[in-house]
Amino acid sequence: MMLSISEALNKAHHQLMEADERVIVMGEDIVGGAGLGKGEGLGGVFGVTSGLVDKFGANRVIDTPISETAFVGMGIGSAMTGLKPIVEVMFCDFMGVCFDQIFNQAAKVRLLSGGRISVPMVIRTTLGAGDSSGAMHSQALHGLLATAPGLKVACPSNPADAAGLLKTALEDDDPVILMEHKGLYSLEGEVADDLPPVPFGEGQVIREGCDITIVAVSRMVHVANQVADVLAQGGGEVEIIDPRTIMPLDMNLILKSVQKTGKLVVVDESFGFAEMVISRVSEEGFGYLKAAPKKVIPLHTPIPYAPGLEQEWLPSEAQIVTAVKELVGE
Amino acid sequence: MQNKLAQVFKKSVEIRVFETMIASLADEGKVPGLVHLCNGAETLQSAVCLALNSTTDSVTGSHRSHGLALAMGADPYKVASEILGKADGLSAGMGGTQHLLAPEVGFLSSNGIVGGQVPMASGAALSAKVLKTGGIGVTFFGDGAANQGAVLETMNLAVALQLPMLFVLENNGFGQSTSAEFASGGVSLLKRAEGFGLQTYALDGADAKDCIEKVETVVTSIKAGEGPVFIEASVPRLAGHYHGETAAYLSDCGGQTDPLKILNDHIGDISEGIWRETEALMVDVMKRASAAPVPSQDLLRKFHTEMGGQA
Repeated sequence: MMLSISEALNKAHHQLMEADERVIVMGEDIVGGAGLGKGEGLGGVFGVTSGLVDKFGANRVIDTPISETAFVGMGIGSAMTGLKPIVEVMFCDFMGVCFDQIFNQAAKVRLLSGGRISVPMVIRTTLGAGDSSGAMHSQALHGLLATAPGLKVACPSNPADAAGLLKTALEDDDPVILMEHKGLYSLEGEVADDLPPVPFGEGQVIREGCDITIVAVSRMVHVANQVADVLAQGGGEVEIIDPRTIMPLDMNLILKSVQKTGKLVVVDESFGFAEMVISRVSEEGFGYLKAAPKKVIPLHTPIPYAPGLEQEWLPSEAQIVTAVKELVGE
Repeated sequence: MQNKLAQVFKKSVEIRVFETMIASLADEGKVPGLVHLCNGAETLQSAVCLALNSTTDSVTGSHRSHGLALAMGADPYKVASEILGKADGLSAGMGGTQHLLAPEVGFLSSNGIVGGQVPMASGAALSAKVLKTGGIGVTFFGDGAANQGAVLETMNLAVALQLPMLFVLENNGFGQSTSAEFASGGVSLLKRAEGFGLQTYALDGADAKDCIEKVETVVTSIKAGEGPVFIEASVPRLAGHYHGETAAYLSDCGGQTDPLKILNDHIGDISEGIWRETEALMVDVMKRASAAPVPSQDLLRKFHTEMGGQA
């Protein structure tokens, strides 16, 4: 069936909560209208948690005060004591206020307990610029998050992956951050009815080509694909790899592709991920490279509000075309 | 009551002797990290934990939590080995003195971040509520943590969601070397908690009998679904922020009454035997822990791989 990313995620929530009573969902306005007595409200600002409270009750679908530190910490403690929480942090920018709970608490329990326990919690959050949400509702922090030992990070680019990665995330013993792009929620795609889990650390070849490898996640997969369409008209064959999870990272797939093409461009909306891929390819696949890899990433500034400036900040199709052409020649 | 007082005394002696011996080992250079001792808070911690069920209740504590782990029933040998960085430690030496985890006896975790442990206990309370275990979440923190956002947010959250949770503020008058009076604005920390809608109790940590009685009442009321409770207990801090500290402010710590001495005098004849037995037991514990092997490099490599580290 065809579903949008928000519909696929919503369906996955229903299936997961149905299958296991230990699964709970919490966050700000995920039910909506709490305390007003007028029935269900928003179902989350992007509708992902819509309908859950009617089916599973307010005991398991919990609207919280605007207190990210407290409720992310509550998620951690609940995961350590028998529940399987899915915690929504409305925008990944808000992780700035609960950094301690994510970096110091959730990420470290496995090691600090000597491996006896961990934190089987999923944090769902959004990323992505492009809609003038401004500097504090638009960032992409997967590059940063993936640097913290103990965290796993997934960035789906389509409905099947979004639902499948959520399922795998909830089965994982460790804290997982699922980063959903704000600009992709309405993107539709074919999805199997049972929403099969998508394994971590297994990327996907989005399109095959032998001239150059582009590595991208989330919305940048689609931007890269448009560029590849244009270049195909001139006979250029671009291979696009979507690793789907940032940590763990499918280096085998990336290296296999670079072995074939000898050329690499990483396109990303965050800081850190492109650097990480290029560093590892240089270390682990230097002999495959026929030219120095390139990255197409945002300007090193906070995200501006004015639409023209925001587009200037974001990696553009034109920049990707330029990077590709510099590597493969006109 | 006399029996309960004896139990609290016995546990408090265990903690005091344990920490005194850890301090000696630190003086000998055998403890890798800095240890933060709970001298003066033992009777309070033992009294609170006496009212808890180590199977269904979960406790989190601060960096000063050797005593709490023992009060919940953690094996002294494993706690000592952890503090000494040995393979037989609770977490095979991965956590150390500030990060003790003994979830098998209801001690969920202690914490290196001041106040970081408080939200975690609200999660244990949520689990108890959702899974209907009949348990509660309990968190201990000091006056130094009372001004952390994590603590204040969780006080509000516990009331908003009506979590079965107990906050225990150990007010020893110092956040590291800063006085509580200086650091905390407002009338009192108890009034603050009232403002959040928490039921509040003030305890004198030196009055073991009163602590036992009040905490029993409080835990019963939380388990009956009557909402989260905040206790502010006054305890002396009989030593420095960490063992070995020699700062000038410490002169203000002297001269305070030791709650364990008060309880000792109250207990009477049996006290001497308890001290003697405990000391013999702990000498053996420390001897074995000192001789225990250090953790293997393989264990760290295993975590590296599990956490997605580069091959």
